[in-house]
Amino acid sequence: MSRFLARRLAQSLVLLFIVLTITFFLLHLAPGDPMSRYDDPDISPETARHIKESLGLDRPLAEQYFRWMGSFARGDFGTSLRYQRSVRGLLAEAIPNTLRLTVAALALHILLGLSIGVLSAAKKYSLFDRVNTIAALFVYSIPSFWLGLMLILVFSLKLGVLPSSHMQSIDTEGFSAAALFLDRARHLVLPAFVLGIASAASTARYMRGSMLDVLREDYIRTARAKGLTETRVLLKHALRNAALPVVTIIGLSLPFLFGGAVVVETIFSWPGMGRLAVDAIYARDYPVVLAINFVVAVIVILGSLLADVAYGLLDPRITVAGGKRN
Amino acid sequence: MNLKAPPQGLWSQGWSRFRTSRFGVAGAVIIVVLYLAAVFAPLLTPYDPIAQGDVPKMRFVAPCRDHPLGTDKFGRDVLARIIYGSRISLTIAFLAVAIAVVLGTLVGAAAGYCGGVVDAILMRIVDALLAIPRLFLLLTCVALFPGSMWLVVVLLGATGWMATARLVRAQVLSLRNLDYVKAAEALGAGGSAVIWRHLIPNTLTVIIVAATLRIGGIILTEASLSFLGLGVPPPTPSWGQMVFEGREALMGAWWLSTFPGIAIAVTVIGFNLLGDALKDAFEPRRFV
Repeated sequence: MSRFLARRLAQSLVLLFIVLTITFFLLHLAPGDPMSRYDDPDISPETARHIKESLGLDRPLAEQYFRWMGSFARGDFGTSLRYQRSVRGLLAEAIPNTLRLTVAALALHILLGLSIGVLSAAKKYSLFDRVNTIAALFVYSIPSFWLGLMLILVFSLKLGVLPSSHMQSIDTEGFSAAALFLDRARHLVLPAFVLGIASAASTARYMRGSMLDVLREDYIRTARAKGLTETRVLLKHALRNAALPVVTIIGLSLPFLFGGAVVVETIFSWPGMGRLAVDAIYARDYPVVLAINFVVAVIVILGSLLADVAYGLLDPRITVAGGKRN
Repeated sequence: MNLKAPPQGLWSQGWSRFRTSRFGVAGAVIIVVLYLAAVFAPLLTPYDPIAQGDVPKMRFVAPCRDHPLGTDKFGRDVLARIIYGSRISLTIAFLAVAIAVVLGTLVGAAAGYCGGVVDAILMRIVDALLAIPRLFLLLTCVALFPGSMWLVVVLLGATGWMATARLVRAQVLSLRNLDYVKAAEALGAGGSAVIWRHLIPNTLTVIIVAATLRIGGIILTEASLSFLGLGVPPPTPSWGQMVFEGREALMGAWWLSTFPGIAIAVTVIGFNLLGDALKDAFEPRRFV
């Protein structure tokens, strides 16, 4: 197991290295002199000089590359052109908010996806199954920003039951801890739903397929022959085996989750990384944009590493054999 | 059944399987209608999608007989903008997918066929690119490079080839060891000849299915970009941008955001139905 872990860790580091390199080359391949980008009249000459020095923009390309890699590895992402603050500080504020949103969406995704998938497989071709297939197709095909706007229209503007933006209400002075929690939860509902529902739909499909494959296996037949109730067969035997490939799928859905967060955060004015990135794009705030790219890539790579480890824990076969079975 | 008739080839088999899928045919019909509407747009609506109407009188008109889908804040007819907007969305999606698929096929075939170091390097790059969420990658590129419609097309294509590369590589790996490939190699066919004349034609079905399924995703991504204001510049009508413009008037003029979104949804549904049916037709799995 530890050999497997070590190998995956090494792979992840290589990936990160490649991501950093690609990001670096993107910045320098862009037309125009990178140095002139920091000649923005809005920045004081002091800051501009400081940035240029710390980035070593006046040095040869190879040296720049290594210094830049080094500073990123240390967590020094430079200074935001727009806010004149350290990028790291900005990120430290935004990341927890995005994590709140994505974790909630992920929870929705896993719970809804798995349960609908299992039920659909159990009641194959039933009305429930067919309705879900069609619903999944719709959910998959509508743009998330549109879904968000429509939900805001219905639930916030017309019905007024759910808030349409931000993480919490403005007038929360003097709220008890419970009331604050409830307020935040209400603000989380729409964004998390919009973010998680598309992934939930696709996971449900995969889960259904995986369950159907597993239900054909001999050991299921044995379990049934032994007289176990169908529920027990489903939950205790089939589910565990069917869930395995789905774990990988969930890991693979992380990039989409973060990408979707960009749009969702913009619509709901959620103060997270996605919205920070969009604002930075509008303001041509390159240090922030690059730093966010990097951080997101790190989170995603870590996430898939965790997913693989989880898979390894659940299915000892792949760690013992020393490789992925396929 | 005529036992003496030669067995149906790959394509006709797939086609007859495809025809039995009602959803697939429905999807194909939707797409054909959309493309026809895009081409014959001037015949379908008398209104100009770009020219501003008599603004004070015509702005924010709710759906009625003259304007079935209402008008926007400049007095432009929404239905006309949606029909003309389909040109942008469909063209961009088609071109971007073409780029992505061609790139992905080349990389995947090279990786699968050459194997070894080349394969390892290429696949590491693919993994690294897949690790960055596509929208972030796109946003970064849009921030760095000046904007235009062709840039959007190229960027969408350049960020979407990875999944195709993986698929093609897997297919090539499984085909590589088949006898007829070995025979070709034994007869002295060089590497690229084998790739071009044997491997790629046989992975074509996989490629086509993958491409069709990807168009939906690309349309959504392009819509998201337009929604964020980073896609095709105005006043060219683009569905995502129309939804964005409607956002500020959501309470009063709900039709501005609703209908373009429905247009996007219908288009993507059409491509997904088509893609799913093609997949079932050309890659039948043992179980459903």
